[in-house]
Amino acid sequence: MTLAGTPEAPEIDGDAAFPVNNGALCIKGWTAGATLAHPERLTTPLVRGADGILRPAGWDDALERIAAAFRETRAAYGPDAVGVFGGGSLTNEKSYLLGKFARVALQTANIDYNGRFCMSSAAAAGIRALGIDRGLPFPLADIAGAEVILLTGGNPAETMPPLMQYFAKQRANGGKLIVADPRLTATAERADLHLRLRPGSDAALANGLMHILIRDGLIDADYIAERTTGFDAVRNLAATYWPERVERITGVPEIRLLRAARMLGSAQSAMVLTGRGAEQQSQGVANVMSFINIALALGLIGRPNSGYGCLTGQGNGQGGREHGQKADQLPGYRLITDPAARRHIAGVWGIDEVALPGPGRSAYEMLDTLGEDGGVRALLVMGSNVVVSAPNSVHIAKRMRALDFLAVSDFFVSETAADADVVLPAAQWAEESGTMTNLEGRVIRRRRVFAPPPGVRDDIAVICELAQRLGKGEYFRYGDTAAIFDELGRASAGGPADYSGISYAKIDANAGVFWPCPGVEHQSAWDRGAEHPGTPRMFADGFPTADGRARFHPVHHSAPAEEPDAAYPLYLTTGRNLAQYQSGTQTRRIVELRDIAPAPLAELHPVTAQRYGVADGALIAVSTRRGTAHFTAKLTRSVREDTVFAPFHWGGIQAANRLTNPALDPTSRMPEFKVAAARIETIDAVETDAVGIESVEIGAVEASKTIDAVDAAPDD
Amino acid sequence: MSDKQQLVVIGNGMAGARFVEEMIALGGRDTYDITVVGDEDCGNYNRILLSGVLSGAHRAEDIFINPAEWYAANGVALHTGVRVIGIDRKGKMAYGAGGLLLPYDKLVIATGSSPFVPTMDGLVTDEGGYKKGAFVFRTLHDCREIIDYAAGGAQRAAVIGGGLLGLEAARGLLNRGLEVDVIHLMGWLMDQQLDPQSGDLLQRSLEGPGVRFHLEKLTTAITGDDCVTGLQFQDGSALDCDLVIIAAGIRPNVDLARMAGLHIRRGILVNDSLACRNDQNIYAIGECAEHRSRIYGLVAPIWEQSRVLAERLAGQNAEAAYTGSRVATKLKVMDVELAVAGEKDPLDDGDEVVTYVEPNRQVYKKIIVHGGKVKGAILLGDGEAAPRVLQAFDREETLPDNRAELLFPLGSDGGGAAVNAVNVADLPAAARICDCNGVTKGGIMAAMDAGSRSLAAVCAATRAGSGCGSCKGQVQAVLDSISGGPAEPEGSGGSGGGANGCSNSNFNSNVNARDDAAGSYIPGIALTRPELVGAIKAMQLRTAPAVLSALSGNRHSDPGSARRLDALLRSVWGD
Repeated sequence: MTLAGTPEAPEIDGDAAFPVNNGALCIKGWTAGATLAHPERLTTPLVRGADGILRPAGWDDALERIAAAFRETRAAYGPDAVGVFGGGSLTNEKSYLLGKFARVALQTANIDYNGRFCMSSAAAAGIRALGIDRGLPFPLADIAGAEVILLTGGNPAETMPPLMQYFAKQRANGGKLIVADPRLTATAERADLHLRLRPGSDAALANGLMHILIRDGLIDADYIAERTTGFDAVRNLAATYWPERVERITGVPEIRLLRAARMLGSAQSAMVLTGRGAEQQSQGVANVMSFINIALALGLIGRPNSGYGCLTGQGNGQGGREHGQKADQLPGYRLITDPAARRHIAGVWGIDEVALPGPGRSAYEMLDTLGEDGGVRALLVMGSNVVVSAPNSVHIAKRMRALDFLAVSDFFVSETAADADVVLPAAQWAEESGTMTNLEGRVIRRRRVFAPPPGVRDDIAVICELAQRLGKGEYFRYGDTAAIFDELGRASAGGPADYSGISYAKIDANAGVFWPCPGVEHQSAWDRGAEHPGTPRMFADGFPTADGRARFHPVHHSAPAEEPDAAYPLYLTTGRNLAQYQSGTQTRRIVELRDIAPAPLAELHPVTAQRYGVADGALIAVSTRRGTAHFTAKLTRSVREDTVFAPFHWGGIQAANRLTNPALDPTSRMPEFKVAAARIETIDAVETDAVGIESVEIGAVEASKTIDAVDAAPDD
Repeated sequence: MSDKQQLVVIGNGMAGARFVEEMIALGGRDTYDITVVGDEDCGNYNRILLSGVLSGAHRAEDIFINPAEWYAANGVALHTGVRVIGIDRKGKMAYGAGGLLLPYDKLVIATGSSPFVPTMDGLVTDEGGYKKGAFVFRTLHDCREIIDYAAGGAQRAAVIGGGLLGLEAARGLLNRGLEVDVIHLMGWLMDQQLDPQSGDLLQRSLEGPGVRFHLEKLTTAITGDDCVTGLQFQDGSALDCDLVIIAAGIRPNVDLARMAGLHIRRGILVNDSLACRNDQNIYAIGECAEHRSRIYGLVAPIWEQSRVLAERLAGQNAEAAYTGSRVATKLKVMDVELAVAGEKDPLDDGDEVVTYVEPNRQVYKKIIVHGGKVKGAILLGDGEAAPRVLQAFDREETLPDNRAELLFPLGSDGGGAAVNAVNVADLPAAARICDCNGVTKGGIMAAMDAGSRSLAAVCAATRAGSGCGSCKGQVQAVLDSISGGPAEPEGSGGSGGGANGCSNSNFNSNVNARDDAAGSYIPGIALTRPELVGAIKAMQLRTAPAVLSALSGNRHSDPGSARRLDALLRSVWGD
């Protein structure tokens, strides 16, 4: 997008020359300027006084409080008792710097980020099957050229609307779209075929498609023989997923399964795309691998207008997972346990390799053990509203309060910030420069248009200043963000996500550069010396695995961690609305967006509503084994009769994550946001007032009291 | 031999092999050395798919779940082509044919079942085998023999048995180019699962070129000297054929267990622990086991048994219990969709029977409801309804009061162009037109009300179409259908003020431009019928004079137009 005007009256427009969205913006983009000069915006640090009240404070005071708390915690409990929680919306430079800050300045193993709740399953599956994780291994524009697309568990028509132009073009070109989703979403409405699967049955669906593809001779035997390994085990497994059985598991009529398989199998070009629906489960990695199996069996990956991709959610969801703000990773998408990677990074950072910490706890595991023996006791949160976005949030809010010290950097007093000891006012998107890596793996610029308001500082300056106060300032001296990016490039050199051949100038000249893009000195012998153009399309010649082949993984379907039973007879699934983003810290404060979705609507089928005596628009309590949340009922036939859908953008008693199940995927440590067993009850207005449904509107500096009040809800 | 306990599994089919898989998955190899004995000469394949192999849909190698190599790779000893002939319970030893000794600490009997072959003359040869051209249909070996024989010049096949397996066999032979006669003893097909009416409808949907059904016929003899040439029936009639498949049901394989002194009724009697009644070191699962008076012949319950037993033996859950399964199944009979669950007929007066029959399309849907829950169901010819009904049965859900919700699920198909196919004129003002920017039809109307008249102006004012752009057609349709008129209050006269007048004049110019356009529903009003309906709704026009006044510049209409308009208004607003 383009931005002009003033922070008070920003003029936003689509940038028709930008190749990703071609100028298309959704309402979240059009209104993004409204947070810049928002009356609730923080413009001064807040420090909690002895009386428990957050009060404005000077920067020096606030930073010294943080540094002192970190020093004390470290002295008392060791370095791993200090933790960092980052976000997938931070720029590449911040993500990188935050990881370096944790490892070098804090020397803690405990850093992870909210992308663990978002992209980690697709990432792990991609690495296992294809040797690398880049959301889309092809430019978005290729979507328009695909004959058939299978999209599972994604709803870009609401969550990423500008993307839909490519699906519209695909349709105009005669292409077909298959959407697998428990709901008839806005995206599914546009599909040629909707597979309304039961929540948690994704791998069974994929295996069922595989069964038909094999049976009907629609697989690409030559491709399988030449470019993959492990197919025999998948073929044997597929023999146990005959269509009648798959129909019983998934609830998808066999005839639809057949149509889907034949559409995919008879297309000259086809794509398999996954979204959070399949990924945010305790078997998320397995689910994604089962869909990658289909793409491999059809010989799609590495062919024109074809392949497997995942639709990345957060603004920098791709870049955020590459530069070392994950518990198990170092910059360049390297494993922190890999000795060669550790040597390389220690060299770039100028530290002793033995001083580099090992792997830390994953996001939920870090949050789950806050304040406990061996857990994190002092935490810095940057760019994340964890008490709304983490699963099982009532419990997590309790753990947050068990911390000895919490510092939060944000531009509003989010639900998380409301409980902090120190809140730092952060600069916003239009006030900072840096780079982001989008869902295509295209590295793009973010440009500073406005100066931050007086009193507000960029996170980068904050990180460097804190490092200085912790005695590690010499490792954090940068002239500008370009200098950080250059160091990031050197750190990534030779890693899977190699940025070493990318510079700001090259990004500007090419409307973004796709990684991997090794620098001249890091290229292999045959192309040494030539400027690397970046890699818009991957896998044409091979896969970055030891033998150059992709790997099939046989994936058994097993039931989700929680299935409906007599006490909790419905499935609960969670997701996003059009007019809101993530935890809603920003979007709930934008009037125009709030008007579209003023309160969270829980969607349920009219038949289900009748069974529980729920009228359209009634207030209902949705409960799981972890808690209760309140929603307004929206009756719609677009949702399965056995399923309730609730959006997760709201806090307090309206937070869907009070309900979600923290059962983790064994590989990615992704929580099971998409499946829980739930029950619903009607509540009357009097009772609602008693638990303070309105009082969670935050912004009050003493908001922690409000949250306490909310937690006194009956489920607690 | 290691110091681990010895676990011997007799049977390498759907139950035995699945059980071994579950044992491995649950870490059972830590406790046991596992040995599997199967009397077929190959690894484990999916028996359900044999009919697909017969019909040519599946290649034989594609139905293997655990090929022979799998056992070696997973540290399981496999003996193929070996029949276990005896069990010494005191000495804890099983004896395989050919001298194989199998000492065990725990023994799992998963011997499955065998085809039931009714007595008939001319079937068994002096050598003890079946006459050339006569087959049962149980194993991959049977399947290959049938295929070979069919390929060797057979032209007319008979299938004895009109149950599921017989019908599947018939389909396979049809696909291979043979003519097929299905001989059934009972009065309707699949009498075990279907009631007479659905059986009859099934038959009608299966009948076609190359296939004939003969009901209430008992086969008494197979004719032919060296090979099959025909069948003779009890009623004196006869049939020519050169291949016959006997698919008259199955019998649990319990001879081994009976000889070993285990308690048998129809099957091997087991408790909820799946242990035999009189020997706690011997278990039985699958089609040979009888649990709470039931023998299961479907995969799902058998796999449940396998899981429960593996949990017990692998030490994961020593208390794991199998308490029985609700039997519902989805069948594909010669490409006809069929789902059955529970009871096929009501059992008492308290049972409510809901039936929908459409003989012409061979659609039959019946649910038996007891206490608000599905007790039985037959769904023929409607693949979309089955998942919902079977789930209600599986989970014992309380049904919606309106049972039709269950029997007639609304298709959830977007159908691709569905969004565009909806007539925007029929949408309520709250309907979202632009998903990217959350713009409703009402929002577009408001923008028009405020003076935006062109697509570009409306889009600029509302941001509709500025995202993916795919809604522009609909925005244009809203523009067209409303043509600038804000909603008038009920009745006519209107209090819309200036904008209203403006829009009317705007509309009239529109009318003039399109007055003679083809498709005009009422002379003088240049709108097609759908457009006119849209305008009537949008402007809340309830009487013919109001319509004419608003849309045709108060021109007089001819009596025919007035009648049409009245009829249209009635259809829009009711009487």
